[in-house]
Amino acid sequence: MGYDDSAIDTTNVTENFDFTGKASEYFSIWIVNVALTILTLGIYSAWAKVRTNQYFYSNTYLDGASFRYTARPIQILKGRIIAFAIFMAYYASSFVSVQMTIIILGIIMLLVPAFVVMSMAFRLRNSVYRNVRFNFDKDFKQAYKVFIIPVIFIGAYLIVAAQMQSIATENPQENLILSIIVMVLLLSIFLMFPWWEYMITLFKAEHSKFGGANFSLTATLKNYFGMYAKGYGLTMLMFAGLGIIVAVLIPMMSSSEAPDAMGVFIPVVIIVFALPVYLWMFAYFQTKRTNLIYGNLVIQEHKVQAELKVGAMMLLYLTNTLAIMFTLGLMMPWAKVRTARYKASVMSVLVAGDLGQFVSTQAEHQSALGEEIGEMFDMDLGF
Amino acid sequence: MISGFYFDGKTSDKKKSTLQYDDQGNIRISDTGADEIHISSIKISSRLANTPRYLNFPDGSLFETTDNDAIDKLVATFKPSFLNGVLHGLESAKTAVIASVSVVILFGWVLIQYGIPHFSKEIANMLPTEASQYMGQGVLEIMDKNWFEETKLSNKKQNELRLLFSQLLEDVEESGHYKLEFRLGGPIQANAFALPNGTIVFTDELINLAENNLEIAAIMLHEAGHVKHHHSLRSTIQQFSLAMFVMVVSGDVSTSSSIVSAIPLMLVESGYSQKMESEADSFSLNYMLKHNINPIHFVTIMEKLEASYSNSYDDCMEDSKEDTKHNNCLKEAIEEKKKNIDGKNLTDYFSTHPNMQKRIEKFRVAK
Repeated sequence: MGYDDSAIDTTNVTENFDFTGKASEYFSIWIVNVALTILTLGIYSAWAKVRTNQYFYSNTYLDGASFRYTARPIQILKGRIIAFAIFMAYYASSFVSVQMTIIILGIIMLLVPAFVVMSMAFRLRNSVYRNVRFNFDKDFKQAYKVFIIPVIFIGAYLIVAAQMQSIATENPQENLILSIIVMVLLLSIFLMFPWWEYMITLFKAEHSKFGGANFSLTATLKNYFGMYAKGYGLTMLMFAGLGIIVAVLIPMMSSSEAPDAMGVFIPVVIIVFALPVYLWMFAYFQTKRTNLIYGNLVIQEHKVQAELKVGAMMLLYLTNTLAIMFTLGLMMPWAKVRTARYKASVMSVLVAGDLGQFVSTQAEHQSALGEEIGEMFDMDLGF
Repeated sequence: MISGFYFDGKTSDKKKSTLQYDDQGNIRISDTGADEIHISSIKISSRLANTPRYLNFPDGSLFETTDNDAIDKLVATFKPSFLNGVLHGLESAKTAVIASVSVVILFGWVLIQYGIPHFSKEIANMLPTEASQYMGQGVLEIMDKNWFEETKLSNKKQNELRLLFSQLLEDVEESGHYKLEFRLGGPIQANAFALPNGTIVFTDELINLAENNLEIAAIMLHEAGHVKHHHSLRSTIQQFSLAMFVMVVSGDVSTSSSIVSAIPLMLVESGYSQKMESEADSFSLNYMLKHNINPIHFVTIMEKLEASYSNSYDDCMEDSKEDTKHNNCLKEAIEEKKKNIDGKNLTDYFSTHPNMQKRIEKFRVAK
C-alpha cells in the first residue's frame, strides 16, 4: 500500500482502511452463533458477541496490520446479566404505576453519563492495533458536566409528557399550561441538540487515546449546527413538495369512479413519496455524522479521513433493508459485511511519516456493564 | 517458516519478520533480537475464518500472521487439544452450518408458534390478579378524556343490562371484579372491549345495533373471555418475549425496534391476537351452548357490527328511522358486506381479528 519501512522522511502518505470479510464466511459464523445461543438459552450470546467483533475487527486492516478485539466473553456475560435485570425492573415498573416508571427512568437517566464513560472505556481498552491498546480516560466529572443539561431537559420532557397522559384533568387551563411546557421543552431540545451532540462527541474524542497519545477533534460547533440546519431544511422542502403533489392528485382521484380509491391512494402516496424522504433523512444524518467525527479526528500529526456519500448510503440501507426483510433475517450477515466494506473503502489515514511512533501503556480490566446497558436501552454509544 | 509482522509491545513499530521452529517446538522470530522460546509459553489465538492469527509472547510482544494453515499445523503438532479450533470446525463444516440453519429455523418456529404463547399463558396465570388490575389503571380515564362521552342510554336500559351481566357471570369463576360500563362511542363507533382489570366497556352505538339482549349477552361473554384468559397481560408478555428473541437472533438490540423487523413482528403479533380472539369466541360459544342460548345471536350481532362500519350503513341511518325500511336497508348493507368479506385476503394476515366469516361460521354450525 505504498508504504516503505526503511524510508525516514516526514512526507504525508495516505493509508486506506481495508475490509477483507466475506458474506459467506460471516454467514457461517453468525448462524452457528445464533444456533448455539438458542441451544444455551442465551448464555452463548456473550461468546457470540466476542466472535462477531473479532471477525469484524480482525478483517479491518490499516497499513498491512489488523485490528484486534480482546474482550473476554465472561466479562460481557456479567454485564449482560446486570443490564437484563435493570431492563426487567424498568419493564416491570410499567405494570405497577406511571410514578414507578418515572422514578426508575430518572435513576437510569442520572446514570447515563457513567454508563457512557464505562462503555467507551470497555470498548476502547479492548481494541488493539499493532500490539498497542486504545484507551479512554475515565473522567466521570467531566462526563456529568457535559451530560447534565441534556439529561435535565430530556428527563423533564419525559416526566411532563407522562404526567399529561396519566392525569385525567378536567381543568382546561391546567391542560393548556402542561401543553405549553411540553412545547417549550421540545423546542429547546430541538434547538440545543446540535450543541449537545457536539459537546458529547468532543468529550468522547478528546478522552480517547491510542497508547499514550490523545485524539483531538477538529470539527466545530458551526459544523454541527450546519448539519442539522441543512438536514431539517431539505427534509421540510421535500415534505412541502410531497404536500403539493398530494394536493394536486387528490382532486384528480376523487373525481374518478371508485369511491373507495382514497383509502388505497393515501397509503400508496405515503409509501411512494414519504419513505424515500425518511430514508434520505436517515442516510443523510448517518453519513454526515460519521464524516464529521471520523473525518476530523487527529492523533499526533496523523489525520483520519472519512468521505461517506449520502447517495451510496441510501442505496446501501434500502437494499439491506429489503434483503433482510424478504429473507426473514437470513441476509443480515451479507448486509453487515457490505456495510463494513463500504465504510472501510471511503476511510483512510493521512499518515505523517510513520505509524510506528506510538507508545504503549498498561491496560487495566474494565467492566462490560456500561456497554451492555447502553445496548439494552437502545442508545448509540458508538462514536 | 511463517512470515508475518512482529510488534514488541512497547511501541506501535511494525517489523516484517519470519517465525521458525524446530522439532522440539522451540520458536525463533528472525530479525528481532528476541530469544528463542518454547511454544508452551506462547498464547496462540484460535482460528476465526481467515482472520490473522496472533501469537502472544510472555514479554508482551506479538507476532501477527495471515498464514492460517501454517499456524494450524504448528498447533496440531505441539499443542493438540480438543477445544482448540472446535468453533472454527463448526463454522467451516458444511454439515454444521446446515444443521445450525435447521436449528434456528426449527427452534424459531416452535418458539414463536408454541413456546412464547404457552410461556406467557403460564406466567399470566401465575401472576396475582393485582398485576392485571395495575395494568388497567387509568386506561379508561385516558379514553374518556380523548374519545368517549357520557352514555345516552336510559337508566332503565342500563339497569336491565347490568342485571343481565351479573346473571351471566354467576357461572363464571372468579368474576367478582368484572364491571360493566357504558359510553357514547363517538369516533370509536359501535364497539366493545375489555380492560385488563375486568372492566368491560360497551358503546351506546353497539347497544343500539342489537335487537334483543341475547345479542348483547353474546358480546359480553366474548369480552368476559378476554378477561378470564388474561389476554392483555399475555399479549404484553408475548411482545416482550418476541423482542427478546429478535434481540438474541440478530445479536443487536436496535434491530428489535427498527423498520427491518417491523413487518415480520407485525405478522407474528397479529397471529397471536387472532388466536386470542378465537379463544374469547370459544369461551362465548361454550357458555351459550351450555346454557341453551342460541349461538345464532352472536352471528346476527357480528354481521350487524361488521356492516355498521361500511358506508352504505351510514346512508341507512340517514335515510329514516322507520322500522321496515330501515331494516331492509340494513339487511342490504349486511349482504353487501358479506360479499366483500368472503375468502381470505392478504390483509387477514395483518389483522388483529380472525376472518369474520370463519368466526361466524363456528357459531352458525354449533348446535
